Amino acid sequence: MAGMCCGVVGETETSATVESSSRSARRRRMEIHQLKFVAAAAEMAVLLPETGRKRHKVDAVLPPRETEGGADKIQLVESGGSEAKPLIECAPSSKCVSVRTESTELVDECPKFGTTSVCGRRRDMEDAVAVHPSFSRPENTETSGSVHFFGVYDGHGCSHVAMKCKDRMHEIVKSEMESGQAEDSWKDAMTKSFSRMDKEVTEWSNSAGHPSSNCRCELRTPQCDAVGSTAVVAIVTPDKIVVSNCGDSRAVLCRKGPDRPDELLRIEEAGGRVIYWDGARVLGVLAMSRAIGDNYLKPYVIPVPEVTVTERAAEDECLILASDGLWDVVSNDTACNVARMCLRAQRPPSPPRSPGSDVTGVTATDESSDKACSDASILLTKLALARHSTDNVSVVVVDLKRDL
Amino acid sequence: MATSSGDQGQQNCCFQKWMHLQEVDLSELLQALTLSENGDRDVRLSQLVQKMIKHFEEYIQQRNRLSRDDVSAYFAPAWCTSLENSMLWIAGCRPSSFIRLVYALCGSEIESRLTEFLQGARTGDLGELTSAQLSDINTLQSKTIKEEEQLSGVLAGLQEDIADQPFVVIARTSSGASESNGDVERALDEHAKGMASMLEDADQLRISTLKEMISILTPVQAVDFLVASKKLHLCMHAWGLKRDHRHGRE
Repeated sequence: MAGMCCGVVGETETSATVESSSRSARRRRMEIHQLKFVAAAAEMAVLLPETGRKRHKVDAVLPPRETEGGADKIQLVESGGSEAKPLIECAPSSKCVSVRTESTELVDECPKFGTTSVCGRRRDMEDAVAVHPSFSRPENTETSGSVHFFGVYDGHGCSHVAMKCKDRMHEIVKSEMESGQAEDSWKDAMTKSFSRMDKEVTEWSNSAGHPSSNCRCELRTPQCDAVGSTAVVAIVTPDKIVVSNCGDSRAVLCRKGPDRPDELLRIEEAGGRVIYWDGARVLGVLAMSRAIGDNYLKPYVIPVPEVTVTERAAEDECLILASDGLWDVVSNDTACNVARMCLRAQRPPSPPRSPGSDVTGVTATDESSDKACSDASILLTKLALARHSTDNVSVVVVDLKRDL
Repeated sequence: MATSSGDQGQQNCCFQKWMHLQEVDLSELLQALTLSENGDRDVRLSQLVQKMIKHFEEYIQQRNRLSRDDVSAYFAPAWCTSLENSMLWIAGCRPSSFIRLVYALCGSEIESRLTEFLQGARTGDLGELTSAQLSDINTLQSKTIKEEEQLSGVLAGLQEDIADQPFVVIARTSSGASESNGDVERALDEHAKGMASMLEDADQLRISTLKEMISILTPVQAVDFLVASKKLHLCMHAWGLKRDHRHGRE
């Protein structure tokens, strides 16, 4: 695959995390949760009774980059070797490249997904995964259509903050979204949601008596104050991917670069400069100083997420959300390659590395494509275990291909 | 009823027989893996696996019978090496280590086949474990660890009991080490009953976890798993002997 690039958003140190950093497990123990295997096909059929094939016109932006606020730098780095070489740097406000591609007809339907979550080599399960297809249909936004929620929470100290996030975060986000937020205030909505989540956790921990809690710490203070969770949440709308990240879990977008010369020419003629990137892009900054919960570390640890809003493009293949049980031992690019091979394997027979054929081929059935996502999440999990990940491993793979 | 030195002899003999049986069983398992992949291969492998489980159960039963007379010997057996003894959990292996062993085994293959996979080769399922198996193993793991923790709690209680009544009172009033005391014997015997009962529970957990793991795995995987576990057991013993020798023990 020529010209493999991956973009990394964040501070300078972030580029180091492109390579798998085997950080030793930093957490303690807790209670076990079962591996969840979401049978997406069946569930979605129920959740999406009126899967109307609404069509929207969308202007794709290459690369789709809107970092909101902050002194963040955008770095596109060449990956594949041990040394990550920055190819381009630019300020967040100015888009590196903005190319108007042909208007793509998009279909409003829930993306297929698969999730895997295992305890792995730890004795305590502190990860939690939440998937809520069509969890909200904001009516006051420009783009109608359903919005989908994917979240990975990696607890520390105990599981109860992660579990609380799993139970509540999507409801909080939903209410924030539906309380009249305009589309350009994704960052506000998500920041508020994370702050509300953190407040809820704090109040819940401080209030006396939690009959429902069955975690190992039994919410006994003061240990309870040392409990927190990372959170990476992806909101997928018909035309956007909003990733909010608080802590060292990670979301990676796999996008196929335009590797056909004619396509490249077309884009260049349209006035754009093209940066090849056929690989992984990290959405949201990684920061150990961010978490939900962790009362005793306040104000040093803050529940403010990094929010990135990315326009969806026809070249988007999949989105991978995972806890650091995966990222400790599997690089972004490897994860992307594994996921896309699984997704392509389930698609109609198409010679590898011919990007056009994915779209023109016969559409795979829902069942098989969901199986593909599950296969991808399972294979990534097995790879993490094979590479001796010492942490809980949770992986969500979302297929962003739009079958026409 | 055997004398105390006879106990030691019987225990040692029981263990030596078991280690010998491990070697015999191992070569039978290895032999079975060379069977050609015809129709009844899985049936034959399953039968073999059941036989291995039966051997383990018989060993456990014999050991439980012997331990009723002298349970302490099993918690730091003189017939095991220091290395093995340092790794014991309630006189045996941790049941949760079966899960770790499976993870270690399924990992070795996946990495080597990853490159082919990424180059587009369709070589069947990678890493062998299916999603259902992974899910079942994960469930088994959480269940096993919970039960292990419970037994660890029992062990902690029994260990702390030594620093409590009646032992403390007897020790305080004792005038000499050689003094024989009926109270002491009764108290120690009573305590040993608790230890023996815990040992039985731990052995039951080992057996049930092993059986459940075998039921999750395919016959070939189960044979692979048993081969690896027996090899590990035999190797640990051999490595331990070498280390003991180096430090002038035995």
